[in-house]
Amino acid sequence: MFATPRIGALAQRVRPTAASRTRLLPVLPPVAALLPEGGLRRGTVVRCTGSGAPSLAMAVAAGPSAAGSWCGAVGLDELGVLAAAGYGMDLERLVVVRASPAEWAVAASDLLDGVDLVVLAPPRHVRHAAAQTLAARARDRGAVVLVVGERPGFPAELELAVETARWYGLAEGAGRLQSRRVTVAACGRGAAVRPVRQELWLPAATGKVAAA
Amino acid sequence: MTGCPDAGLPRLLLVECPGLDVPDGASRAGETGGADGAERLRRFGRVVEALSSVCPWVDAVRPGVCTLPIKGPTRYFGTEEAVLAQVTETVAAALDASPAVAPGTPDGTSGARGASGHTSGEAAGVRLGVAEGVFAAALAARAGSVVPAGETVGFLAPWPVDVLGDPELADVLVRLGLSTLGRFAAVPAADVLARFGASGVRGHRVARGLEGELPGYRVVGTGARLVAVLGRALALQDRQPGFWGGASAADERAGEVLVALQRRLGVEAVMVPVLEGGRGPADRCRLVPWSPAAAAREPKTARRRSPPEPPWPGRLPPPAPARVTAGARRVEMADGAGAPVGVTARGLLTGAPVRLSVTGDRWMPVTAWSAPWPVEERWWSRARRRVARLQVLTADGTGWLLVTERGRWRVEAVYD
Repeated sequence: MFATPRIGALAQRVRPTAASRTRLLPVLPPVAALLPEGGLRRGTVVRCTGSGAPSLAMAVAAGPSAAGSWCGAVGLDELGVLAAAGYGMDLERLVVVRASPAEWAVAASDLLDGVDLVVLAPPRHVRHAAAQTLAARARDRGAVVLVVGERPGFPAELELAVETARWYGLAEGAGRLQSRRVTVAACGRGAAVRPVRQELWLPAATGKVAAA
Repeated sequence: MTGCPDAGLPRLLLVECPGLDVPDGASRAGETGGADGAERLRRFGRVVEALSSVCPWVDAVRPGVCTLPIKGPTRYFGTEEAVLAQVTETVAAALDASPAVAPGTPDGTSGARGASGHTSGEAAGVRLGVAEGVFAAALAARAGSVVPAGETVGFLAPWPVDVLGDPELADVLVRLGLSTLGRFAAVPAADVLARFGASGVRGHRVARGLEGELPGYRVVGTGARLVAVLGRALALQDRQPGFWGGASAADERAGEVLVALQRRLGVEAVMVPVLEGGRGPADRCRLVPWSPAAAAREPKTARRRSPPEPPWPGRLPPPAPARVTAGARRVEMADGAGAPVGVTARGLLTGAPVRLSVTGDRWMPVTAWSAPWPVEERWWSRARRRVARLQVLTADGTGWLLVTERGRWRVEAVYD
């Protein structure tokens, strides 16, 4: 039909806007089991804690990133970009913002205007008010904040805690780090009150996240 | 001085039609700066339109100035000279065909490669230049020269720092004796931000051939205005809808925010990753300041595609570490007798590591470690050094990538 290509082109153009109205950002299947709704709810704060929290945050961010969302990292100057790519993040839509301790909140807040997902490692002692403001901003913008590390001052809808972690592949003077098996517990408010546990390879030998 | 192959700036042929520039004020005002401005824009539009028959990726940088990547057309036409000749002819024809052209004087002599004379007054002023990046190509056009591939940085070196277009910066630089781009380029990058600010960083990167364009030169939306003024679609690579390098509104929204962030925190505070060949995690991935111009100009695939995969011996096997440290953290590692562990000339550990301490923190028991893998790095340069890497696991479950050089261990990355 005559109108078909036009509609196709139109759909292409409005896609990002339409996507921003959907409530959930998609995550990779091994991670989905940890999230009460099977995806990241827009406007929420999720905290990743425990040994391997940075990897967990990358594995969580990989889904939205691969689906076309921009991701910003604040306070993660040492982010292993190769690892991020390994977990499935799209490097073309990843930006690493270097902000001083005085500026991280402003940087993260500004970033929330332009990206769907901010991976944030705030300073150890976060002022409650600053955290609240940022959470409100995320809610307002429909973006997701992934906080990396124990930051009790940060109000989070959901906490993903690496409870146990064990590397495989390295022995005494031989082998190499190949894969890490972790237990992640998810607990939070509302639908996620009851903790859910999931065994993951974080990463598997391929560098990706996989259900164990 | 040699060029910077790393930056991979596109080799551009820049066409400048001085007579078709629209004054800055007018070009920013919604309309075209009066009938005269509109006419000049229309004529420039015809030039761009005609050039898109030579190469489909014509980039209308600003009124009166457009570029095209010269590589593709060179494959088609055979040599860069042939492309230049073709472009010269095409531009002249487009301008001559324009009805408003005064008959003008017959042309002067044609420069062998650069500026060429033509039939109309305007065409006679047309200047061509070839170099890597828009900035250098514009200077090349001014000089009427074709800068050999890879020699752009050397070409830039003798130009006075005024050409960076920031009189304040130029003033400071000149007072410091850094009167040329070459001298400025020789200043260590680390000192530039502190001393010369964000504008200095941009200029410095341009002078070093790391960035191709300075903010303020490009007039955003020129392509769209040409389309409007010509009243028909142009087959040019239009920056307007996907100005930030991507086609989507999400890309555009992100781009706007990143520009604002750079303004607020400094250019070097907003970084994007670039993958490269190399052995260590830090070598394989570099973070470079995000640049709207780069995002717009370079096709996505060229900018951050997978690294070329040469057989880097000693390359770190996957999975990659989650944290790559700056390498400043010192590590002490001791064997059972408390003696420091090192690597012998034959690439073996002097003892079995039992505990390690990072930057003087508490000792952590070592539970597993790899054999060291010696990496002869930079064998081609003067900075030849022997580096060995070691993976170590501590009792808390953390994996470490350590690197040793001259008997000292440092943290290179953490498998966090």
